[in-house]
Amino acid sequence: MNIVLCHRQFSPLQRRSMQLFGANLGLTAALSLATRDLFKEAHLPALLGYFVAALPTVPVIGIVAVVGRYLAREADEFIRAIVVQSLLWGLGITFVADIYLGGLFAYPSILRLIPILNIDLFCVSVGVAVRIQLRRAQ
Amino acid sequence: MKNRLRVLRAERGWSQADLADRLEVSRQSVNAIETGRFDPSLPLAFKLARLFATAIEQIFTDEA
Repeated sequence: MNIVLCHRQFSPLQRRSMQLFGANLGLTAALSLATRDLFKEAHLPALLGYFVAALPTVPVIGIVAVVGRYLAREADEFIRAIVVQSLLWGLGITFVADIYLGGLFAYPSILRLIPILNIDLFCVSVGVAVRIQLRRAQ
Repeated sequence: MKNRLRVLRAERGWSQADLADRLEVSRQSVNAIETGRFDPSLPLAFKLARLFATAIEQIFTDEA
């Protein structure tokens, strides 16, 4: 949400939500990398493997909770509507990119693609969508 | 939905930012309502009516 609301003055709710959002995002990235390294270097038993693979999803649930809390408490209904519309744009773009990249992976002749973290793509597309909509409302 | 918000605001010499402060919303919200891109909820419409000491239907008119 950082790029997002890009007003010069943030409300305390917006500031707090962005801090929590950023912290959860950082934790998602850190846990994703740590999990990948762990799988590369250690041969985990199947049950433990499932548990470790689920770890990076925990902060994603945190992100959903932060966004939900923000939407529930945001008093400005226009800003709330913009955030909801942008979340839908973010979901749409992430799904489209995911399906497209999934299709490309099926072609063995194509070199390995840069792995994209869905959550990053989602956040960037939501941020861009909010910026565009706020600019239109200037 | 059409509205007379810009006229009512101008009559009082308020800027969009002044009205936004009084309504406790962002200036973008006021602009979006004035230009008809966003229809306010009933609570916000009532707040506007109270602020301008008039009835809601004097501010908003149905285009249908």
